[in-house]
Amino acid sequence: MEKNFKYIFWSVVAVLVILLFWWMFRDPTGKFAESLPGADNRGKDSIMAGPPVNIGEKFEFFGTTNTTLKGTWTRFRGADYDNIVKNSVPLKSSWSGNEPELKWSVDLGEGHAGPAIYEGKVYVMDYDEATRSDALRCFSLEDGKELWRRSYKVPLKRNHGMSRTVPAVTADYVLTIGPRCHVMCVKRETGDLVWGLDMVQKYQTEVPLWFTGQCPMIDGNKAILAPGGTSVMIAVDMATGKVLWETPNPGGIKMSHSSIMPWTFKGKKMYVYSAVGAVLAVSAEGPDEGKILWKSTAWNHAVVAPSPVCFPDGKIFLTAGYGAGSMMIKVSQAGSEYKVDVLKQYPPKDGMACEQQTPVVWEGMMYGIEPKDAGPLRNQLICVDPNDVNKVIWTSGKDGRFGLGPYLIADQKIFVLDDEGVLTMIKPDKNKYVQLAQKKLFDGVDAWGPMALADGFLMLRDSKKMYCVKVN
Amino acid sequence: MERRRFIRTSMQMALAVSLGGVAGYSVLSSTSRKMVWQIDPFKCVQCGRCATECVMTPSAVKCVHAYALCGYCDLCGGYLKPDPNARTTAAENQLCPTSAIKRKYIEEPYFEYEIDEALCIGCAKCVAGCTSFGNGSLHLQIRHNECKNCNECAIARVCPADAFQRVPYDTPYMIKGGFTKESAAKPTEKKG
Repeated sequence: MEKNFKYIFWSVVAVLVILLFWWMFRDPTGKFAESLPGADNRGKDSIMAGPPVNIGEKFEFFGTTNTTLKGTWTRFRGADYDNIVKNSVPLKSSWSGNEPELKWSVDLGEGHAGPAIYEGKVYVMDYDEATRSDALRCFSLEDGKELWRRSYKVPLKRNHGMSRTVPAVTADYVLTIGPRCHVMCVKRETGDLVWGLDMVQKYQTEVPLWFTGQCPMIDGNKAILAPGGTSVMIAVDMATGKVLWETPNPGGIKMSHSSIMPWTFKGKKMYVYSAVGAVLAVSAEGPDEGKILWKSTAWNHAVVAPSPVCFPDGKIFLTAGYGAGSMMIKVSQAGSEYKVDVLKQYPPKDGMACEQQTPVVWEGMMYGIEPKDAGPLRNQLICVDPNDVNKVIWTSGKDGRFGLGPYLIADQKIFVLDDEGVLTMIKPDKNKYVQLAQKKLFDGVDAWGPMALADGFLMLRDSKKMYCVKVN
Repeated sequence: MERRRFIRTSMQMALAVSLGGVAGYSVLSSTSRKMVWQIDPFKCVQCGRCATECVMTPSAVKCVHAYALCGYCDLCGGYLKPDPNARTTAAENQLCPTSAIKRKYIEEPYFEYEIDEALCIGCAKCVAGCTSFGNGSLHLQIRHNECKNCNECAIARVCPADAFQRVPYDTPYMIKGGFTKESAAKPTEKKG
């Protein structure tokens, strides 16, 4: 009996020891599948690949217009890059009846490209879905009649719209960038082709997600562009298309949806660009023109749409959507060297932040619409002091949400368009939210394109149509 | 004789009443509608309680995908964590804590996203991402093959958005696309 007990005892001990070893040496994660790059089988048929494009190959003339209008909105964020209409005609301070009057509308290809205005003519970089072409279209501001169209074939697949950029216009030229980074310069009056540049072919530009969002800059007789790829920034002679300078890109900075902003700091003019990979400034004048003056990789996000907001004291406000939040940097100069310090960095719910549009600064205060991931502030218009961008002075409230829509200031009024076509007029008051008027103008879908305003005509668009509204 | 007739009549009446009762009960049963719990996706605020409050482990609440609404984006706010290092399937870029969303390349620039419900815990992280940065095609629904349909749903009791509702048994889902904000406005039986 005692012998049997010993057998049983040692058998149990042996089993327990075996179990202990099994438990100790077993890999509990053995059945786990690792999440490694490449499991989605991402294809190699890059969007960069495509047939050669003959930029500006086709011209169509439809008619002329007699106009006495002299107002202009010459580029993205206007002549002074601040989104403020200067010397506006007096605009109505309240709306009644059918005010503001919808004067005309026109169908566009799916996209978010805003127009520019020059002396009674509207210029918009459209995508013609029927012919699969980029198309610079010129309309009469007063009646919406199309005057001419300069286009070229570029096959695209819709990806939350196609067109996204605002042309730059001078008395002589119109400069455009198409969805796949094709740059085109034409004569403003006639639409005659001056030159074209394929930034993908020449600079190995990586076309941004959802296509190009960078709006071109004309500075004097130069086109200033930020291709990324092999050159972070370039200057092109407007009259000839000759490349004047190229800024090397050893850091591999990529094109973002942001646009280049001019800035003069301590007497030095520079071009500031919030790229994918870094924020930087390139000298705009003097013997070092085209050279990088300063760069900070502290600002590095996958998608950047808003443009930098530069202040005279050296501060630059940077913001982006998709969880990036905002950053305030301070540029300082010691001799010929520049230094960049990060003053603040915070998630969108903690202060001024924007996803698509760029905040506007008016009489010392900064106004902008919060992104959808800003918690209770989502999609609200807010006002902050640029010296303390985390302290929200006022908001438009939970009943004043405007989606991702655009806004500009004219005649001491903020005009805000929401995603669905509701236009709101607000007094830019430093202390409180003051709504002057509001009206649903159209059944809009994703009305995100930047606005333009001249001679009392406010240009709006949603993903499929452009609208002209009389606000004076 | 009178007594026999009385007994027979009584038996006939008892039988008739019984048959009538059974028939009536059957009719009532077939016309009264059974109700089950469901989440109104337009009210859901992605608080995360569905993952932690359900009596089932893992939760009977799962993410579902309304393919007709999806943008098939490369930079998917529901799949990738905000501001990802790269747009790849590497674990550090994924938002889902259990890797329950499978991403598949279709053609440039489109990607398809599929939910592995066996892995989904109903945390709504992907729903929040998709709602903030996308079309809101990812949303939560109670899966009735998992749900015990408790009389007093433990999640409904704590839902901060009052998104839990009882809906008819024969239309148990509120999938976006077919189910819209307008149809959400129609009255249904609320919780409690």
